[in-house]
Amino acid sequence: MQAPHTQEEFVKLVQEHRAMLYKVCRLYCFSADDRQDLFQEIVIQLWRSYPRFRGESKFSTWLYRIALNTAISNLRKQRIRPSPLDVNEMPTPLQDMSYPGEEEEQVQQLYAAIDRLSEIEKALVMLYLEDRSYEEMEEILGINQNNLRVKMNRIREKLRKMTKEATYGIR
Amino acid sequence: MELDSLKYAWRTLASRPVPENSPGQIRALLQQRSKGPVAKMRRNLVGELLLILVTYTPAILFYFLEFDGKLSGIAWLFILLVIILAVYFHRKSRLLNAMQCAEFDICSSLRQQVDTLKRYIRFYVRAGTVMIPVMAILSWLIIRWKFPRMPGADLFYRISGSPWWQHPLIWLAMLIPVTVGVYFLNVWYVGRLYGQHIRKLQDLLREMEEV
Repeated sequence: MQAPHTQEEFVKLVQEHRAMLYKVCRLYCFSADDRQDLFQEIVIQLWRSYPRFRGESKFSTWLYRIALNTAISNLRKQRIRPSPLDVNEMPTPLQDMSYPGEEEEQVQQLYAAIDRLSEIEKALVMLYLEDRSYEEMEEILGINQNNLRVKMNRIREKLRKMTKEATYGIR
Repeated sequence: MELDSLKYAWRTLASRPVPENSPGQIRALLQQRSKGPVAKMRRNLVGELLLILVTYTPAILFYFLEFDGKLSGIAWLFILLVIILAVYFHRKSRLLNAMQCAEFDICSSLRQQVDTLKRYIRFYVRAGTVMIPVMAILSWLIIRWKFPRMPGADLFYRISGSPWWQHPLIWLAMLIPVTVGVYFLNVWYVGRLYGQHIRKLQDLLREMEEV
């Protein structure tokens, strides 16, 4: 299907998918200014690539590719970096604290965990949390499904280890 | 922490309202300049091109219009240099275009960026190094051609007292160490400009490709 390539259509699509773009920005940037810069950069890259979008893959797949590519290879010096590992902000098992009033804390812990992953691991985790299939993850990342599973297991292990270190001081 | 347990928090996040972006705001974003590294390299390239035009154009006009046009050969030499530089800028621009493509999957995109940046750096170093002897030789030719009897034109003949066929050898003896020095200067300079960037890209690619 040939996608319409007008600016109006593009603006509408960005509005529809802005939640996903914000998530990418939040994952890869630590300050509001950096996030705003990255959001702008992603939108510019999307617009630059939009005329070549032929609808051969799902729109969301195309969007993830460009957003993550831009975030990963942007490589600007960030204004703020996360502080060294701190027990108080370390993730604890979220299933034990699923109280509505503690949602904010859970979200903060989620980010505290993800912020300590590498850029590539962040992309994997985001796609996993977004319930993307391994097939789609392969299409976005260019890593075959077997390797993806291996990498996901390593990330699981890494998160467990981080929790242990934070809870019991084991290294 | 189990990865699956993060999903709950992720869903919480998904249910939260995100900031509204009006169509006008998004259109305004599209009018702004990209702050990405490749866009900056492109802007630097345009800056270099403008600098060349601003410095060469008056020189070309000067040699065409002054001295009753007797030194127009020098103006043509400058035009030749501008043509050589245009090829250089065109090649650099094409490599930057290739680097800016974000539509491939992430692994292929990183691979392409690393390969293209390596080619860009190689070209930068080679072109920057070769330009020195080329310009020196062209300058020497123009001096010999336009000022054959002026002091300096036969400088090396007078210094060495050697026959004419040895002149190029004397030039080479001077040019080779200068060219080698410029080569290492270029290598150091591109390392300073792009070294960190390429190392970061290579690390990311290595991480993606490792099993």
